[in-house]
Amino acid sequence: MAEAMADSYNGDSEPTTRTLLRRVLDTADTRTPRRRRSARVGAQKALLETPSSRRLSSPTKMNVRRHSHRVRSIGRLAHVHTSGNVEEQTPRTLLKNILLTAPESSIMRPESVVKPVPTPQVVQSSRRDSSRGSLELQLPELEPPTTLALGLLAPGRRKQRLRLSVFQQGMDQGLPLSQEPRGNASASSLTSSLNLTFATPLQPQSVQRPGLARRPPTRRAVDVGAFLQDLRDTSLALASPGDSLRTPVATLPADTVLEDTQPFSQPLVGRSPSGYHSLTCLSHTEVEDAERAVSLRTQSSGPRLQNHNPGKPAELLAGKAKKVDAHAVSFPNNSSAISGEDGVEPLQDGVDEEAEERMEESLSVSEVMDTTGTQGSVRTEKSKRHREMSEAVEAKEPEGSSGDEDISGRRASPELASSTTEFLQARQPQFLEPALPPSTAVLSSEPLEPLPTRLPPRARTPGPRPRQDPHKTGLSHYVKLFSFYAKMPMEKKALEMVEKCLDKYFQHLCDDLEVFAAHAGRKTVKPEDLELLMRRQGLVNDQVSLHVLVERYLPLEYRQLLIPCAFSGNSVFPAQ
Amino acid sequence: MAFSTTVSQRKHIKRKAPRGFLKRVFKRQKPHLRLETSGDLLVHLNCLLFVHRLAEETRMNAFENKCGVIKKEHVQAAAKKLKEYGKI
Repeated sequence: MAEAMADSYNGDSEPTTRTLLRRVLDTADTRTPRRRRSARVGAQKALLETPSSRRLSSPTKMNVRRHSHRVRSIGRLAHVHTSGNVEEQTPRTLLKNILLTAPESSIMRPESVVKPVPTPQVVQSSRRDSSRGSLELQLPELEPPTTLALGLLAPGRRKQRLRLSVFQQGMDQGLPLSQEPRGNASASSLTSSLNLTFATPLQPQSVQRPGLARRPPTRRAVDVGAFLQDLRDTSLALASPGDSLRTPVATLPADTVLEDTQPFSQPLVGRSPSGYHSLTCLSHTEVEDAERAVSLRTQSSGPRLQNHNPGKPAELLAGKAKKVDAHAVSFPNNSSAISGEDGVEPLQDGVDEEAEERMEESLSVSEVMDTTGTQGSVRTEKSKRHREMSEAVEAKEPEGSSGDEDISGRRASPELASSTTEFLQARQPQFLEPALPPSTAVLSSEPLEPLPTRLPPRARTPGPRPRQDPHKTGLSHYVKLFSFYAKMPMEKKALEMVEKCLDKYFQHLCDDLEVFAAHAGRKTVKPEDLELLMRRQGLVNDQVSLHVLVERYLPLEYRQLLIPCAFSGNSVFPAQ
Repeated sequence: MAFSTTVSQRKHIKRKAPRGFLKRVFKRQKPHLRLETSGDLLVHLNCLLFVHRLAEETRMNAFENKCGVIKKEHVQAAAKKLKEYGKI
């Protein structure tokens, strides 16, 4: 006791836990509950029991630290215990022994002290596991095995696993350091849950069953450069089959891919370059179609577009019939791919479905026109160059050669990772004429177009181009429903007809709703107006009510929104 | 979104209403008007019924012409008939 007191006074420069413990030992009552331990295998067992007893006596963090101290210095303590009073293994005596033997240290222990310790711990902790089965003792032994397990896992897995293993290794490396003060503190079950929360989930599982370890989701920040590189690689790899068509165009697919920032468009990337190839092939056709196409594009009136659309596909069909033979098979796929690639559209899934279904040329052609036009207009927003080009194109709209110039200018500058290239190409696929235009200078003057600028989210302007495309994709939903209800194969012209009918139907619908709302003195169209409309159409009558129709045709979620239903608590949803 | 019906076709028909599309169409047509929240669902219902009627009529026309494929003329005739009856 004297030496303990001396030690406490000597090292009492600051009130450490050690000194506090000593004071407690010195001042507290010596009578302690005797614990008869019949089986005393050795110091280790005694030490095993002392933590439990100590826990009961004084559940503090410093006790926990003592535990770790004990753990570490178990070898040293062994002889102490054997020499000491084996009969009286009171908490007090054990604490004193620890104070005597445990090295002085601060909470923040340097790494060097920890490293040599884990090795002897492995043996002892294994024994402890069997006897105590607590998690905190597993920690020291887990460190080496976890790193081993991670090392084994890392090479055999994908990049994600590697990163995870790196993460886990970093965690482990961080853990021994932080464990030291805290891991010791967590030796007692009272504090283990608090301190080990972020350690235990990772390690115990991975040690015992590496395959079942729960891996935190790895989230990688999008590496723009890597992404672009991957795009280039894939596009170039995919563009190789299409290279036979046209070498200068070979670079265009890369550009196309680069510009396409739609998250889901990557699978379609492979098809799009070849699609553009086919587009350029087909562009060798008429110029009058191009003129019409240009006029179509620049005109923003809906009806005109609608009128032109049925006419245009027919003309395009006629024109393309000559040259499409070689590309007939691939073109619908590609055009559908392109239309599917139109990532700008929110209804992309509808577009994709449409792309799968619509192998017909006319529709695919019209879609291609629309989608490419949309793409072009979308990219127009991205960069001034696009706008310039579009202006230049539109300025020269009446001349069919304008697009040719642009196209040729594009080819002249193969390094231009420019969306306008595809934009123009897509917009005027019929344009040809490899004549060097004055616009080439404009084109070459702005080859910059830094790639990252394409990746930022696209802002969509409500121009005539996007108005047609999402309109088409929205209509396609109902056209698909039509083909489903018809249960018979349909011609492409018939589907176009259905689209026209749907357009007219929507117009009539809006007019009627306006009339009904105005009749009721409202400016908002309410469900009552809709009911009146359906009544007028003969769908709703005295036998069949609106609710019946709602239940029959709409899915449950919509039904719940439309039909008021009583819920508990005297509440009705939707409120009436 | 849970679909209440299962489609025994190779292509699954979506039962979702393109609410954004409907709202946009209405806004384009009548920018001075407003459409209520549940209104566009009923518009969707109306569209479904319209398409249903149109498809039925078209199918009947195709059967009458003893065609195995629906042609443009069938659709046109069906649309005209519906207009007479006030499909609007």
